[in-house]
Amino acid sequence: MFTSMQLHLAKVFLKIFFRDRQSVMLNLFFPLVFIGAFLFIGGEPDPIKLGLVNNSTNTISKIFSDLVKSDQLFEVTEGEESDLKEQLLLGDQTAIIVIPENFDYLEKTSELRLLLDASQVRQLGAIKEAINTSLLSIERELRNSEPMFSLKIEDVKARSQRYIDFLLPGLLAFMLMNLSIAGSGFNIVEYRRRGILKRLFVTPIQPKDFIISIVLARTLIVLMQISVVLGLAIALLDVKIMGSFLSLYGMVTLGTFIFLCLGFCLGSIAKTQEAVRPIVTSFTFPQLIFSGVFFPISSMPEIVQPFAHALPLSVIATGLRDIVNDGASLLVFNTTTLGIVIWIMLSFFTVTKFFVWKEIAS
Amino acid sequence: MNIIEVKDLLKSYPQPGNKKETFNAVDGITFNIKVGEIYGILGPNGAGKTTTLEMLEGLNDIDGGSAIINGLDVSTNVFKVKEIIGVQLQANEYFDKLNLTELLILFGKLYSEEIDSDDLLKKVDLLGKSNAKPEELSGGQKQRFSIACALVNNPKILFLDEPTTGLDPQAKRNLWNLAKELNAAGMTIVLTTHNMEEAEYLCNRIAIMDRGKLIAEDTPQGLIQKYAPEPQHLASQGNIEDVFLALTGHTLRD
Repeated sequence: MFTSMQLHLAKVFLKIFFRDRQSVMLNLFFPLVFIGAFLFIGGEPDPIKLGLVNNSTNTISKIFSDLVKSDQLFEVTEGEESDLKEQLLLGDQTAIIVIPENFDYLEKTSELRLLLDASQVRQLGAIKEAINTSLLSIERELRNSEPMFSLKIEDVKARSQRYIDFLLPGLLAFMLMNLSIAGSGFNIVEYRRRGILKRLFVTPIQPKDFIISIVLARTLIVLMQISVVLGLAIALLDVKIMGSFLSLYGMVTLGTFIFLCLGFCLGSIAKTQEAVRPIVTSFTFPQLIFSGVFFPISSMPEIVQPFAHALPLSVIATGLRDIVNDGASLLVFNTTTLGIVIWIMLSFFTVTKFFVWKEIAS
Repeated sequence: MNIIEVKDLLKSYPQPGNKKETFNAVDGITFNIKVGEIYGILGPNGAGKTTTLEMLEGLNDIDGGSAIINGLDVSTNVFKVKEIIGVQLQANEYFDKLNLTELLILFGKLYSEEIDSDDLLKKVDLLGKSNAKPEELSGGQKQRFSIACALVNNPKILFLDEPTTGLDPQAKRNLWNLAKELNAAGMTIVLTTHNMEEAEYLCNRIAIMDRGKLIAEDTPQGLIQKYAPEPQHLASQGNIEDVFLALTGHTLRD
């Protein structure tokens, strides 16, 4: 299937990549930071630091204070309003609840004051909402009244509802795009600039041998790096892969092929090392925004949705999401696999039509 | 017997600043090189020396005329031609992170050959540097390594493109000796150079190119007799540099 020349050159490309430790680490850095962030926010949330000022002496206010203190959402500090205000200004407290002197819920509605430093509270709306919900449940407990209903969320496809489950496939697609384009586009321009390609092409190596070796080496690199991220996501974030690993890795391989081909084209457009970066950025950046990596394409304005769906990163990200979240198979023909077939044909046609070896090597 | 036969070789490029017009970088040159010769191509910058070499090496398309190497037409058998030639380029850049041994083995694989890298490194006096990276070598060592890379396929013809540019006299002399040794072992060598002393010392025959044309071709002594100015007050005769300046003028080229 592969000649010994192609296999040896692929081995050399792998050796060069793995000897460049900095590059290996940087390629893993972005997805690992994301996983780390999810690991951090995926656990129990930090309690809200709440100052409690009780200006009332009645029993109701005492019971109310005890219920607030027992709520796991809050880390309560009792004290004088002036002291707690200072702590609030320093950022040591998130909010202060002030119980009025005449606190009584039986005869009339009492006004609880919530003091905040809006400049220091980043998620003000969410915190206000959380405090409000907790206080309402405390009120119900005080009044001995049962809630009218509780809300149980169920996904129509009975899949996990976490954001990481949505994000991970998109992140893997984004990672493979970057690794592939760096492996073809950037490398080609660099090898050309330094005269390395010229040195190679005075030997009997044919362009197809060179392309096959790069594709082979880069596919293995992408599969290995994706495996690391995927392994960590499964082990640490309890991500479940609903489909088969064969389909998943098949999709990654096809995606790598598409982006390697497109990377070769970008590399042949760029005449200099300085030009390749903006050219590659203008290709990858819109995809990062419009390809539904971080949020669903359906939440975008309707006018951009057809464009967004057609982008190669969207097709790969959707394909991976179908496999990871919905247990889809790569072998079942649907609009996503049709999109992949179209992009494979388009990218391969473009690379064979417009990639001029004589110009690249000279 | 000729190992290289070049006839009316032509290479055109768009005129800088006026893409509609073309100029001939190599303008219909004809020459033959015999088996076992060291053949030098001399010329000022922009004369067309490297372009000529690149057409013979299959790196540049031939726009007109023909080039036959060892009975193979370069235009139609470029990969077969590449199998029997060794090329040392002006630029000596290689893949990062690989040492000399790994690079030689790689180049050997590109010819589908298993090579003895130590034997090659010994030939160019770099055996002690087998684990070094090319960027750790001196200028002369880099040029010698470049020749080692060109020898991995034991070529019939070795092309050297300005092999001693930028080298100190010792390194230069060392490289000349290497070229002489390879030639003594039967290898045909084609070299381009700016260095008149090099051409005179190494070459059996010299072609002088200017503005894409071949303006003179002979043995070094033959050229001196034909073109060097008559010595007026000096007892000694002129040299190849005198020939070169007499033919191409004293005007500075880029």
